[in-house]
Amino acid sequence: MYFHVFRRLLFCSTAIIFGILPGMLSGSHAAYATPHPEASLPTSPFEVAVSGTVSDENGDPLPGATITVLGTSQGTVSDLDGKFSLTVPDGATLVISYIGYKSQTIPVGTQTVLTIQLLQDESSLSEVLVVGYGTQEKKDVTGAVSSVKGAAIQNLPVSGASQALQGRAAGVNVVRNGGAPGNQGSIRIRGTGTLNNADPLIIIDGVPAGNLNDVNPNDIASIEVLKDASASAIYGTRAANGVVIVTTKRGDFDQPLKFSVNGYTGVSNSIKTLDVLDAPTLAELKRERYTNDGISVNPIWENPAYQTQRTDWQNELLGQGTTQNVDLTLTGGNKNSSFMISGGYFEEKGMIRNSLFRRLSFRINSDHKINERFKIGQNLQLVSINETAPNTLSAQTGVLWSAIRFHPGLPVRNPDGSYSSSQVSGEFGDINNPIFTQDTQDNKNTTHKILGNFNAEYEILDGLKIRANIGLEGYVSDGYNFNIIVNDQIRASPRNSLSRNYGEGYSVLSEYFLSYDKTFLDVHTLNFVGGYTTQTFNFEGFNASKLDFIDESFDQRFLDVGQTLNSIGGGKSYDALASYFGRVAYNYDERYLLTATIRSDGSSKFADGNKWGYFPAFSVGWRISEEDFFSGVGFISNLKLTGGWGSLGNQNVPGLQYLALISSGRRYSFGGNQTVGAAQSRVPNLGITWESAQMTNIGLDIGLLENRLLANVNYFIKDTKDMLIAPPTIGSIGTAQIPNQNLGELRNQGLEIELSYRKSTGQFSYTISGNAAFINNEVTQLVDGNFIGSQLYGRSSQEISRTYEGFPIASFYGWRTDGLYQTAEEIQNDPNIANDPRRANGLIQPGDVKFLDLNGDRIVDAQDREVIGNPHPKVVYGLNGEFGYKNFDLSLFFLGNAGFDIYNADRMQGIDPSYPFNMYAETANRWTGPNSSNEVPRMSTKRDNLNHRTSNLFLERGDFLRLKNLVVGYTLPSVLTQRYGVSRARFYLTGQNVFLLTRYSGMDPELGYINNNLQLNVDYAQYPQARTWTVGTTITF
Amino acid sequence: MKTNITYLLLMVLLGLGGCTEDILETTPYGQSTSSQFWRNGEDAVAAANAIYEPLINHDFYGHAEHTFDIPSDDQFRAGDHAVDQAIESFTFDADNPQLFFSWRHKYEVISRANAVLINVPGITMDQALKDRTLGEAYFLRGFAYWRFAVIYGGVPIILEADVLANNYNKPRATTDEIFAQIESDLLKAADLLPASHGSADLGRANKGSANGLLAKMYLYRENFSKTIEFGNKVISGPYPLAPNFDDNFRVATKNNPEMLFAVQSLQGWRENNHIIYTTPRPWGGWDFHEPVADLVDEFEEGDPRLDYTVYKPGDIVDLGGTRGPTEYTADLSTTGYHFRKYSSWRPQGGLNMNHNNPILRAADVYLLVAEAKIRSGQSGDMEINAVRARSGRPALTNATMQDLIHERRVELAGENQRHQDLIRWDKAGLVDIVEIYRKDLGPFKPPRNFQRPKHYLFAIPQREIDLSNGVLTQNPGY
Repeated sequence: MYFHVFRRLLFCSTAIIFGILPGMLSGSHAAYATPHPEASLPTSPFEVAVSGTVSDENGDPLPGATITVLGTSQGTVSDLDGKFSLTVPDGATLVISYIGYKSQTIPVGTQTVLTIQLLQDESSLSEVLVVGYGTQEKKDVTGAVSSVKGAAIQNLPVSGASQALQGRAAGVNVVRNGGAPGNQGSIRIRGTGTLNNADPLIIIDGVPAGNLNDVNPNDIASIEVLKDASASAIYGTRAANGVVIVTTKRGDFDQPLKFSVNGYTGVSNSIKTLDVLDAPTLAELKRERYTNDGISVNPIWENPAYQTQRTDWQNELLGQGTTQNVDLTLTGGNKNSSFMISGGYFEEKGMIRNSLFRRLSFRINSDHKINERFKIGQNLQLVSINETAPNTLSAQTGVLWSAIRFHPGLPVRNPDGSYSSSQVSGEFGDINNPIFTQDTQDNKNTTHKILGNFNAEYEILDGLKIRANIGLEGYVSDGYNFNIIVNDQIRASPRNSLSRNYGEGYSVLSEYFLSYDKTFLDVHTLNFVGGYTTQTFNFEGFNASKLDFIDESFDQRFLDVGQTLNSIGGGKSYDALASYFGRVAYNYDERYLLTATIRSDGSSKFADGNKWGYFPAFSVGWRISEEDFFSGVGFISNLKLTGGWGSLGNQNVPGLQYLALISSGRRYSFGGNQTVGAAQSRVPNLGITWESAQMTNIGLDIGLLENRLLANVNYFIKDTKDMLIAPPTIGSIGTAQIPNQNLGELRNQGLEIELSYRKSTGQFSYTISGNAAFINNEVTQLVDGNFIGSQLYGRSSQEISRTYEGFPIASFYGWRTDGLYQTAEEIQNDPNIANDPRRANGLIQPGDVKFLDLNGDRIVDAQDREVIGNPHPKVVYGLNGEFGYKNFDLSLFFLGNAGFDIYNADRMQGIDPSYPFNMYAETANRWTGPNSSNEVPRMSTKRDNLNHRTSNLFLERGDFLRLKNLVVGYTLPSVLTQRYGVSRARFYLTGQNVFLLTRYSGMDPELGYINNNLQLNVDYAQYPQARTWTVGTTITF
Repeated sequence: MKTNITYLLLMVLLGLGGCTEDILETTPYGQSTSSQFWRNGEDAVAAANAIYEPLINHDFYGHAEHTFDIPSDDQFRAGDHAVDQAIESFTFDADNPQLFFSWRHKYEVISRANAVLINVPGITMDQALKDRTLGEAYFLRGFAYWRFAVIYGGVPIILEADVLANNYNKPRATTDEIFAQIESDLLKAADLLPASHGSADLGRANKGSANGLLAKMYLYRENFSKTIEFGNKVISGPYPLAPNFDDNFRVATKNNPEMLFAVQSLQGWRENNHIIYTTPRPWGGWDFHEPVADLVDEFEEGDPRLDYTVYKPGDIVDLGGTRGPTEYTADLSTTGYHFRKYSSWRPQGGLNMNHNNPILRAADVYLLVAEAKIRSGQSGDMEINAVRARSGRPALTNATMQDLIHERRVELAGENQRHQDLIRWDKAGLVDIVEIYRKDLGPFKPPRNFQRPKHYLFAIPQREIDLSNGVLTQNPGY
């Protein structure tokens, strides 16, 4: 109670100090303020005309270099020949700068003609990284931060930045969850950090909100990923899974208007289809399974009408997709204001017909200097997204799953134009014609979003600034789904229906913080940031559904038309966070570095008493290369050792779980009347609170050969504690939702390496970089040694993944096998089944799988299962090469995963003859007699030996290396383009997923997560990634 | 400078605006917490309605519960659920998913019943309504334990006190304990429930539901006098047999008084999937549970019940819409037949989704009483003949167990009784279930190896044993 009052006082007083103090200070500041310098400059009577040439180290002219007069906003830009001229005040100093080169400062003195040679900036150490609530020079960073520059991901034919981020930074694993248009995948920073939501916090231009897919990748200036506790603790509450900070492009002050148009277009095609049986072989194998079982063959398999090969369903389903993008960017600025405006349109139509992602985006960013001490800025992003995704995750109705299994002897359409159907016979399975499904699918999601902020900065004293940041994220989303009447397919639906789902959400951020930068006595540099922030999250939505539309025409698919009300619903939610944070960075003489951070967070998701969490972190660094004793070691130009520790939070679970909820809407009927019941929908957990992650990080930065060769190595241990998991519960509790509880512990530890080498000689330049992360994931504690199950696979509800203490999350769990029984003697003599009643009963026959008895009771049963595979890659790596020669540029980007298993569930079902489906072509090589096969069991309608149970028979190595991107570009010589007022024109060709090296037999080794984090790399016949080729151009005026 | 001050003032105001922790308070909009619920009679009725709701789930009576009868000699599993083959042929392992599909849903019925039994007594409300609500909770809890008992034997018994103590991982009750619990719940239900309901409440459990289920439970316990006692409460109560056998399965008369308890289906609101499951594929169904010739042959020549139990070649069925009257042909089915009790078509075409899922009929209770009488040396003629007379069957004198077994088989075909009946009779030495199941019923239903006593009970789901950390134990033989 007292604590609460105290905190409230502290809260208010902080606000008052932050609010009032600057006002008071600014008053006193006014008393001694000197006039603004620029006010006096234009009145100077003495002006000098200077001209000059800017060239690079080889003497080639550098067009577009910026020449400004120090301390003013006066300036110009060099022309095509690197020449410039301007009038400057007497005694002025010029600053000449060009991206990628070291800036030079030249006092004009008495010179009137200047020859300036800029040197390439070989040191990326002067790079500035965006960290939370500020920026830091890379050389001073003591935490683990990876940075990807916007240039690296421009114009890749991807729908969003998360796809582009894949493989670009060590320890940042973008797991693709299939290749459907707009599918972003899941970002996992330093391993899967928790069993619940392990997505990192996304911050777009200072607002912790939004979605990476909302940002036009071509608007991005840089993406910084805060990986360790020290770097991310400033976002304590939400940083346990890392932080991704997206910074979009901005205009520069005193820049002429620059307008650029960019566009690309291309096509995508499937990389691979699976070999399945043709109609005659299918009939033969189906007959064989009856004969083997000694039962009469179903006559449908004797019918020649269904033994003619007619359709390759996968080829019918997987057509050609298209991708196109157009965007326009306008930047500019005068001495007081700068801006960037962009508009973009991106459209991806998938290989599977009727799948689509479309984004229309608009952005305006601007910065304004009210005066020398007062600056304001804003960002605004408007996005409209339209998505249609097919069902490709169900092993009972998924379209690709269906296409693999639909009868190959049926045509796409019958001679009368109607779609073929498996209603012909129960032997053809309860699959709807997949082309019918895709052609008639009518669902879409439309989202309109706004993300913006307004920020103000006032410099109270030199180095002391107060900042305010007010942000808003809002969206409206509309889901639309029309289901037609299906009479002639096996999964019939006798009534049509339309459902609409409408939601509105908004989030308001307000932040106030002070920052202070000062160097004392030349060697003590201090930087402080501290403040408080609140963010609220509101959602409200409703949905309605009607049945019985007499007319199914597209112009009649509106709720008004439905004859019968099906359902109406709606709800609201509200959550909020309030936090204080502070960070001190100190460096002594550029040699010893220290950063300490603390954040205290309150969340509405937990009950009073459990709301607040405290998250401290610190890190230290030693720049060994700055030491005097090191100066002799010439070839090492930079050497920095860092170490840190910190605690982070995660509250990314549904709120209010401390309450027992009663939900209405349990439908039933009495006497033909609709009734609704109410029952407990969630059991309460009174004590629910934060999950935390403690992370230790040790890092080494090395720069060799004048920093042409850079290496960054980090080792980390991340321990997740009080992990919020819904524990496994015995069925006796019923079906009510089980609340998350602070139960488990998890450890991720690993090594991350980033290397880059760059060189330029004459007209040839290149950069080669690579990164790799070796991460080990282990659940170190779980409830009572029990396991967490996950989604069951397919019609037979097969269990594939379990999470056990002592093993990685989502390990594969099943039986072990040793080939097939070849002879009856082998069965009689097999010790594994010596006591197994199935043997005595003749249920195991030659051609069946030999399962291993692991517990020694000589019976093969459920007790003989164990962890049989690990879905997490031991190493995730990326390799990037960029080459430039004269006007040509080439970049190659490879992505690889190694040391992991895939559970090929689709194959498990695909070679199982007890299902009424088509089968994989490899079943043509099934067991038919001794030594005919040791891998594909015999044909049978029975499941006596459960040959196709979850076992290592369907486990495969998932290792792959893919040429993710290939870009070839050509920039027209500026002498040609200048004539038409074009300063730069580049044409490019890009390839996505150009080639794939893998031994995995399925369609695509990148399968992703299912059931949150509880299942990984299980093949359900997910939407595979396509190979995409695009051509495009960028023209800058 | 004035502007600066204005801006700073703005920042101050914004700063003060954040000066509150109230933003961290929230509430579950649109949902009640348990502390806000249980206020009045309406809440009590809503909570009672919710107990019925899991019954119609696909994983309970909507489909899965019927799969426990596919081992019987009445039907071939058909359909395309590959795991069902092991259930039908007694080759299943404890991790066969069929064994756990309905497990949680049964416990959800129990959980919702417990919530009513804990909270409703304290509500100030109409006493008759309160009695009905509590009676429904007792009946449905007893019914859930009944289904557990016949399928798995003893299971953990979760009652009000366990809910309050959060005590769910309990060892299995013994067979005696679980039957004692069922008896206790059903007796309370019989006491509290009204004899019948008004037309708006048809389908709720009534006194007849509780007494009828008690009669069945006592017969399974071979307590013949109690079977007769409680069965007679139904026979002498307002639960007459419907004039026609088929009235029980026709949509218009599905809730006639004979229907003591049935899962209610209402098209467009909450539908019974079993309708689709039992229907031929080209007629809009999924083609499960096909009757075999052995069952068809069991019907006496001219028994009208056959026509309303089985679709057989030559039958003309009105599929409505453009298809209209359509002939049933042998190629619609593997066995040549389909069950008919659960389907009809709407005039405009498409399955009529209003067919209920009968669980207990008065005719069943008549036959239970007849069986108890015969097995205790009395005459069951009156009860068995009442059932036969309705279908125009000649009266029997000194009906034997063989007559009774025949009568149950034809009267209740496809109503999820046969496998449990055979087990009951086998235990009493009245039939040899091993021999019956060893009979070759056609290529799709070859001889099966029923092991006594292992297969009297199905296996406890392995997943539940794993989750209980070994607190749950397996049935013998698995």
